[in-house]
Amino acid sequence: MADIGLMHYLMLAAALFCCGIFVMMTKRNAIGILIGVELVLNSVNINFIAFDRYRLIHGLDGQIAALFVILLAAAEAAVAVAICMNLYKNLNTIDVDRGDALHG
Amino acid sequence: MFEQFWIPTVTDLTRFAPELTLVATLVALLVAPLIMGRSAKTAGWIALLGTAATILATLRVGGSVHAEGISGLARPAAAGMLILDNLTVYFKIVLMLFLAGVTILWFIGSAEKEQHGEEFFVLLVGSALGMVLMTATLNLLMIVIAIELASLPSYAIVAFNKRNRTAAEASLKYVIFGGVSAAIMLYGVSLLYGLYHTLNVADIAARAVVHLNTGHNSAIICIALFCFFAGVAFKIAAVPFHFWCPDAFEGAQIEVTTWLSVSSKAAALVLLLRIVDAFSAATAAHSMVIQITVLSGLAWGLGIIAAVTCTWGNFAAYRQQNVKRMLAYSSIAHAGYMLMAAAIFVHPNAPADHSPIAAVLVYLLIYAFMNLGAFGIVAMVQWKTGGETVDAFNGLGRRAPWIAVPMVFCLVSLVGLPPFAGFIAKVWLLLALGEAGNTLCWTLIVVAVFNTLVSLFFYFRIVKAMFLVDDGRDAFTPPIAGTALVNVCGLILILFGVIFINQPRDIAKRYAANLFTPAVLKPHDRRATATSTTPPDLASMRTELADGSK
Repeated sequence: MADIGLMHYLMLAAALFCCGIFVMMTKRNAIGILIGVELVLNSVNINFIAFDRYRLIHGLDGQIAALFVILLAAAEAAVAVAICMNLYKNLNTIDVDRGDALHG
Repeated sequence: MFEQFWIPTVTDLTRFAPELTLVATLVALLVAPLIMGRSAKTAGWIALLGTAATILATLRVGGSVHAEGISGLARPAAAGMLILDNLTVYFKIVLMLFLAGVTILWFIGSAEKEQHGEEFFVLLVGSALGMVLMTATLNLLMIVIAIELASLPSYAIVAFNKRNRTAAEASLKYVIFGGVSAAIMLYGVSLLYGLYHTLNVADIAARAVVHLNTGHNSAIICIALFCFFAGVAFKIAAVPFHFWCPDAFEGAQIEVTTWLSVSSKAAALVLLLRIVDAFSAATAAHSMVIQITVLSGLAWGLGIIAAVTCTWGNFAAYRQQNVKRMLAYSSIAHAGYMLMAAAIFVHPNAPADHSPIAAVLVYLLIYAFMNLGAFGIVAMVQWKTGGETVDAFNGLGRRAPWIAVPMVFCLVSLVGLPPFAGFIAKVWLLLALGEAGNTLCWTLIVVAVFNTLVSLFFYFRIVKAMFLVDDGRDAFTPPIAGTALVNVCGLILILFGVIFINQPRDIAKRYAANLFTPAVLKPHDRRATATSTTPPDLASMRTELADGSK
């Protein structure tokens, strides 16, 4: 069995990215779409950490970036879930295509 | 052990007084209710004072930028983390003037019935801080953080009126699109980091242009750049990332619509110009062949997006009944015009004197006044009559002549016809396109002129409703302060269109010059630093010293 290298991590991240995009495109539920966004953000983190681990010149840029991505994901989830709750109170649904007041 | 950490000096920090003032305003907005009790008007005054203080600080810093040149706040190895140059000074002044205008609009219409003024202004000023940071950085991580800092308060502020169903729906669409595009953008950033082991845009550009030319990794570079562009294009609302824009603008409270229509696009455009500048600076170091293939590829990409964006915006605006939504599509179209300038700027034959950037800066300034005026009048009609469709404007020329006339000024200016400032802005833009004078630019000129013609029809529907259709609705007196505000906007549009034609452009040219360009490490320097831990110049100095001591 070959050693696990950079390529394996990148393939994992790319697969996760595709899963995330697939979830975003197929889900009708707003929370479902947000889960897709989280999947993509996690693939970004895997990328950052893997590139940082396997690069020749050592530094912390990638790891710091990953920390910030985790932070951004948390902040965005907080705002997005609050907005979902607000929509639920008003429309009794969080299906993105049930909101039909705005179109054209 | 602290020597290895970089700590900014006081001089460095005073250069960033405007940003710090904005942060202080945010803190004051949060603390004031604890000391003085909750009052929406107090919050409004704090925001207005903070804005004024930021403008003063910017003017002060701007003087020293002119005297000393450009600078950045970061340790030398991470240049471009936080930039201070003429462009940031100009942008801060325009943005803060616009923020003051939006705050005044809020005072006129919403201050009386507002329950949560503190939260409103924290979100508004917070997004302004994010936009200021967006234009002042060339570091990918910093760009992402700044875009999020500008976006997250914007999502929340669109849904600020919690009981409004349209607002709730609009903000959900906004946050979903925003979240998706931010995630895709981050994936692009992670790929770029992996390819070049740095987050500095100038470094990345320097090596990406070579790779794009030789075809080495070019597929993955294109994917990464496209993913990255998705995030920026979302903020500009360029087609095909524009879907949030009309919904968010229609659903949001009108002050918020006014704010988002100019600021988020302006910040993203300036950011794009900065990135594009890094790419064209990177190619300038190479031979003609590299320049032409890489840059014209980028230029055509941007140019096509610009042309599609403004055509789409104008045609979609044509069908709208809701004036806010119509102006939202018009703002998409105007973003398209400004993107054209970015496209020529990157082109190999682009004029060397940064005139495309100056054209965008003039356009932004004048566009801010046009939108403040137009949205201010729509706001007053809505506050007084409750309607925001084209019908609500029927007979406005008789019902409220003092706001109908400036509305004509703003609309004609938005079309881009003389004798108003919008015409001058468009002329400078088309002249900048003409100066470059290649196939792409001539195509874009044709597209822009054609679009001006199309836009004439939908803007004049409002003019027609105001002066030619009268179904006997009641006359009303708009708020005096609001009437004054929109008339000042109208007056400024005439003055810039007739008397001070050259001044905005001269000012913009001065501010567009001298863009911050961080020193790019050459690939062989990097390899040298990789093998020996000390930088090469230091190492050679040490050997010289050692030779001398022998």
